[in-house]
Amino acid sequence: MIIRRRTLLAASAASALASPAIAQSKFPSRGLQLVVAFAAGGSTDVGARLLAAAAEKELGQTVTVVNKAGAGGQLGFTEIARARPDGYTMGFINLPAVNTIVLDPERKAVFTMDSFIPVANQVLDPGLIWVKGDSPFKTMKDLVDAAKKAPNTVRACTTGILSDDHLAILMTHEAAGVEFRIVHFDSGVQQLAGVMGGHVDVAFDNVGSVVKRVQSGEVRGLAVTDDVRSPFLPDVPTTKELGYPTIISSSTRGVAVPKGTPADVVKVLEAALLKAINSADMKSKMDAAGLALKPMVGADYAKYYADLHKQATKYTEWALKMR
Amino acid sequence: MRQGRLVATGLMLLFCLVAAWQSWLLPLTDRLGPGPGFFPFWMALIGVALAIGLLVVTVAQPAAAPVEAGDGEDTERILPHGPGAARWFAIVVALAAAAAAMEVLGFRITMLVFNAALAIALGERRWWLIALFAALGSFGVFYLFTTWLDVLLPVGRFGI
Amino acid sequence: MDALGHLMSGFAAALSINYLLYATAGCILGTLIGVLPGLGPAAGTAILIPITFNLDPTGAIIMLAAIYYGAMYGGTITSVLINVPGEAASVVTCIDGYQMAKQGRAGSALAIAAIGSFVGGIVATVLLVLVAAPLATLALKFGPAEFFALMVAGLCLVVGLAGNNMWAALLMTIVGLLIAMVGLDPVRGAPRFTYGVDELIDGVGFVPIVMGLFGVAELLIAAEKRQTRMIEADLQKWNLTKDEWRRSSGAIARGTGIGFVLGLIPGVGSIVPTFMAYVMEKRLSKNPERFGKGAVEGVAAAETANNSYANGAMVPLLSLGIPSSPTIAVLMGAFIIHGLQPGPFLFKERPDLVWTVIASFFVGNVLLLILNLPLVGLWARLLKIPFGYLCAGVLIFCIIGSYSLKQTMFDVWVMLGFGVIGYILRKLDFPLAPAILALILGPMMEKSLRTTLEISGGSFAIFLERPVALALLAIPLLVLATMLLRPRTFAKLRESDIE
Repeated sequence: MIIRRRTLLAASAASALASPAIAQSKFPSRGLQLVVAFAAGGSTDVGARLLAAAAEKELGQTVTVVNKAGAGGQLGFTEIARARPDGYTMGFINLPAVNTIVLDPERKAVFTMDSFIPVANQVLDPGLIWVKGDSPFKTMKDLVDAAKKAPNTVRACTTGILSDDHLAILMTHEAAGVEFRIVHFDSGVQQLAGVMGGHVDVAFDNVGSVVKRVQSGEVRGLAVTDDVRSPFLPDVPTTKELGYPTIISSSTRGVAVPKGTPADVVKVLEAALLKAINSADMKSKMDAAGLALKPMVGADYAKYYADLHKQATKYTEWALKMR
Repeated sequence: MRQGRLVATGLMLLFCLVAAWQSWLLPLTDRLGPGPGFFPFWMALIGVALAIGLLVVTVAQPAAAPVEAGDGEDTERILPHGPGAARWFAIVVALAAAAAAMEVLGFRITMLVFNAALAIALGERRWWLIALFAALGSFGVFYLFTTWLDVLLPVGRFGI
Repeated sequence: MDALGHLMSGFAAALSINYLLYATAGCILGTLIGVLPGLGPAAGTAILIPITFNLDPTGAIIMLAAIYYGAMYGGTITSVLINVPGEAASVVTCIDGYQMAKQGRAGSALAIAAIGSFVGGIVATVLLVLVAAPLATLALKFGPAEFFALMVAGLCLVVGLAGNNMWAALLMTIVGLLIAMVGLDPVRGAPRFTYGVDELIDGVGFVPIVMGLFGVAELLIAAEKRQTRMIEADLQKWNLTKDEWRRSSGAIARGTGIGFVLGLIPGVGSIVPTFMAYVMEKRLSKNPERFGKGAVEGVAAAETANNSYANGAMVPLLSLGIPSSPTIAVLMGAFIIHGLQPGPFLFKERPDLVWTVIASFFVGNVLLLILNLPLVGLWARLLKIPFGYLCAGVLIFCIIGSYSLKQTMFDVWVMLGFGVIGYILRKLDFPLAPAILALILGPMMEKSLRTTLEISGGSFAIFLERPVALALLAIPLLVLATMLLRPRTFAKLRESDIE
């Protein structure tokens, strides 16, 4: 960690920066921020920190990760949407978390889907249903049977209201005809503490958050909410295999900038981020972290962004009815 | 002192009452348990009870309540008074003016004026020292923060 | 010996040139802030947060912790030389320290204070190493119910220590909690009490409020008062007799113990341990009549307890995430600004950061000793800065500090508003510490309460079923109720202790 000090030249540029109207000759001329809407140590944060480190090399400037956790990501997303659109503040947007927040009228979100310009997607992390290593629930069937026997007693936790995990619980409710007692935590770390401490019974989470602990046997994966097995957890069946083809949920994470960011700045970021995501170093580190890369930029990412919103609309309306 | 405490407690009572009313308008419960209004509503109600309790205790106290007047100053009067009052108001007014002007004039010019004005108002007289201090405390600090510490400070309409 | 291994790598990091530099800068800035009359460690730390914005979180926390210690020590200098405690914990130091200074022994008083602070700080940090990690492991077993109860207990303690002002302290706690409710609901994300004001979506800023209540309000109080004159003395001259050394060493040992133990209890402010250590020395002394007339062990006891407390108070912060004083609450705010949530999870997720920061506490204490023994004369000169420059200078930092957090002038107005409110409340003898702690604990309390009730399916009986939570809730609430309803008994107890 080097003390950050810029040259005189950069300094004079920095003072001009404060007025966004003045075009920059060279972007970026100072350190950038990457806002992460979830707490340090969670799987979003792990990926973001790797990307920030790699992007630093490409951009030639420091990229500082700022965690702004709370309200299922809304605090952080709000921060991104309201940031100065100069490209110096980027943010990690988690889909479908952003979608559900936009779709829930009670949230009174100050942003819409149009508030963000999706720049580059990094991760597609499928959902994972897991329990404590010594839990009586050995399989998904055990869990479903127990939940059927005594509705609304098996405590299932999410990483926030209307998160992908919450939607996955609701999908399970419908597909398996059960009802869990839903507990909302803020982060994967809290889920871990809650399940390990016996305060909740089962966690609806993502593969990336607990992959190491599943491998070590500390926790047991019951099902991956995807139609193909996760390369990191080849022994854990998918919900499709288990006869629940409608329980398909994942979290995708990528970098976005606020609306109004100049197109040339977006281009610079896009190129740098794509290079960073595709580097061999990134691949090995993400593999080690159990995070599946899914690089998308430009029109690809924009299309995914739009399609996902349609899909999320359906689930969210459904979730809102159940409130 | 006692009168002041009564007024302040009354204001806090009002604050809690408004908070209770406003939280009542939010959902107190939902399917998941307590809703957004639950915690603030009950806290505000407890606050109302406490404020009333404090009013009673203050009224019931013997008139000559033991006041810790450590340095022998007059603590009976709440608002600034005496020769210090001018200094008191100078600080408040200077801060308010700076906050109002900052986004128009920018950090550097605002603080240049702020520093000089406040130093003079607080009794400094050596003009060269005041000028040096005002410049260091505005342009110098701006340079320090934006260049060395990467903290952005407001730039005004005139680009400075 | 996992902790030892972690600590060693922590030392390796803490002694790296950058972190060493941050710690040194923090100690110097902290002492500076502490010496400036009227600015205590809470305001000081808050004011200097922007300086750490661009550091990595570890560096930022190292620097802020160093600022905190520095400010605690800096307060000693003003206590001894102008009889003005730079912070509440130094009130006791004034009693004998100022007398010593009047007798021309300011140098001795400051030397014994520096040595006592050093010993207290180092020993307390050793104890912290032993206690913090196991406590964090234990706390990992805590569920939301226990955390809720723990926070309630912490707030009750703050209130209980407010003396005959308990009603006011309770009310201030509630006001703090209510202000903390502004912003997004922590569970559903619905905006509350924001009334369409964009700046309120994140809630009312903690740092601007602290700066207002402690920084601006202090300046306003100082502005009204007459200026105090400083005692001129040769600060490099120590003349402690052998007998005084002997008496001081006992005081330092006891002060360390008292400070650390009280630091562990969330809610005990920094003033209690110094008082207790002082009273204990007075009681143990063969000739207690010397106290108040320049007894060196009085200074030693108070300053040692003060610094031992400062380090001990890091234990509940780091292992439970519960701040025990306004300054620690500011430090906690700084953790959060840098994206870190102090508490048991931090030990698990960021052991590198936690242990580096702990190692830096040792480094910081050594640095303070080195800085303070020879440089005390330099610090004392700061006391001669005319009020006009001092006031404007501090306000520059207040403005930058409140603005730069979210880059909005709204927060500067918040700071000014709370400055005036803080001035009035202080004049009316309303305690501010409970409001500050409630402000930072509020959202966490609400979240854990609601999570608890989600787990129980909405039934409050869960608090009865969980013995730890029940005990943490019931004991402080019962004690508090007793104190409120039978104030006489407790008031007597307290007076007899201090007099």
